[in-house]
Amino acid sequence: MLKKEQNDLLTQTGPGTPMGQLFRSYWIPALLAEELPENDCPPVRVKLLSERMVAFRDTNGRYGLIDEFCAHRGVSLWFGRNEDCGLRCSYHGWKYDVTGQCVEVPSEPDGSPYAKTVQLKAYPLIELGGILWTHMGPPEQRPPQPEFEFATVPPEHSITTKRVQECNWLQALEGGIDSSHVSFLHRGDLNTDPLFKGARGNQYNLGDLRPVFEVVESPGGLYIGARRNAENGNYYWRITQWVMPNFTMIPPRGDHPIHGHFWVPIDEENCWTWSYEYHPTRSLSSDEVSAVRAGKGIHVKYEPGSYRPLANKDNDYLMDRAAQKAGRSFSGVEGFAMQDASVQESMGPIVDRTKERLVSTDNGIIMARIRLIIAVKALIDKGVAPPGIDPAHQRVRSASVILPPDQPFKIGASEALIARPAVAPASV
Amino acid sequence: MNSAAEARFRIQELCSYFPTVKVIALDTPSERVVRRVATGSWEHTTFLTAAAFSGELIDLAGRPRNLTDEVDEADLVVMVATPGGRAHAASIIGEACSRRRVMTTGVVLGGTSAPEAALSKTLLQLRPWSLMVVIADPEDYLDNMLVALRA
Repeated sequence: MLKKEQNDLLTQTGPGTPMGQLFRSYWIPALLAEELPENDCPPVRVKLLSERMVAFRDTNGRYGLIDEFCAHRGVSLWFGRNEDCGLRCSYHGWKYDVTGQCVEVPSEPDGSPYAKTVQLKAYPLIELGGILWTHMGPPEQRPPQPEFEFATVPPEHSITTKRVQECNWLQALEGGIDSSHVSFLHRGDLNTDPLFKGARGNQYNLGDLRPVFEVVESPGGLYIGARRNAENGNYYWRITQWVMPNFTMIPPRGDHPIHGHFWVPIDEENCWTWSYEYHPTRSLSSDEVSAVRAGKGIHVKYEPGSYRPLANKDNDYLMDRAAQKAGRSFSGVEGFAMQDASVQESMGPIVDRTKERLVSTDNGIIMARIRLIIAVKALIDKGVAPPGIDPAHQRVRSASVILPPDQPFKIGASEALIARPAVAPASV
Repeated sequence: MNSAAEARFRIQELCSYFPTVKVIALDTPSERVVRRVATGSWEHTTFLTAAAFSGELIDLAGRPRNLTDEVDEADLVVMVATPGGRAHAASIIGEACSRRRVMTTGVVLGGTSAPEAALSKTLLQLRPWSLMVVIADPEDYLDNMLVALRA
């Protein structure tokens, strides 16, 4: 349970809000690089943290992310022409470069300095790991570039997709931290999904549907350990990483790629769910890439021409009651991603946490909320940079390991929980 | 209908349920924390200590309390320990909870930066009897957890 003011604090991320200020401390994923595939390609509308912007790639290959609306009459620059190193408003021809600087006002006399007085809000865009990242905070507080391993391995080792999720970012994130839902919501998919099946660890999962959870603070967020009995009195641990504020990494299975998410607020009632898949020491196989493209694993099939999932709330997520009844699917919704999204969206645009009845296994969620509240207050009151900005906090891995019964997993798996180039992940 | 409009028609009813929680300090340092937390305003939560456990729990006024009776009326038992502390009561409390199918949570305060040996010692005592384990540094984690659980 949260008080209303706490729920508001954590869920509101627009300009001028405390949580919005926290998000504006980080580099966040803004677009897939493939959305701006070539110089002078069509611009793309982007809404992040309740700010409407337009992204474009100019004649020289420079990326821009600027206020969507022309300073002149407020026309959307998405209708503009991307030409000659700038985005030109289709209404009266005002033109802006990638920094948001107006460079031409055709109605003014030749040589007029007027254009120089017009500056749209603009944010940087950098390409890393097939993603265009932006930092929406003050330039003087710009952090080092992201160092999440999935974004820094060779391109053939990694693939990332994104989808619109129609609920507030926090309830989507909390689904990623809540390991206890896996044995129910996703039951049935572990042994059939091409990006999950075949791992020895699956047998531990399916042999023990009531794992014991252990939550431990990490430098950048949390480790969430799920413990099951293994051979010889040892424990099989699956350790999820949460890096503040919105990054999670799911423990690996066998030699499958590691996967995880970013949840980025679009506005208070929608977010982007980013889903990555990577392997630290090898290229992804063509089968793995095909599976991602086919919407397997944590990825989805799309409505044509969009990043909205094909299964969505308007079609009841293509619920298959026959599969549910026959036990082929616990939830009746196909695929891990939409199983998660369907239940999270059903909670409403912003779930009312004053009414919820948390239980002890929700301690991961409880601790994450506490860490977020502490970080927001420290940032607002004292200017303290929040956890997760330091690149060392981002160079992490999830892990699945077998450890002796008395060993703290944070210590027993300490090396496995750090991203080390050319070192295989710890996975069972 | 957009998601906000749809959500407006949810039944608005306040939750009046408060679980009965027993918070039990397992060692002397954790008893100090539990005594502080107990000064807060709680609905159905009892604060006890087993720091000097010899078969019975002790309430914070120093009165003996029967373990079985306490567990019988609990929805949740929270065992609080510190790394390297004397958490030997965990097995007896945990077994009583297990017999009555009462949920248990082990909270290790100050565990994030503790030496491995001390933390291992405590985990070895807590893990078999805790269906949820939390290792937290901030001392007020216990307060926040109890609020979140409507304790």
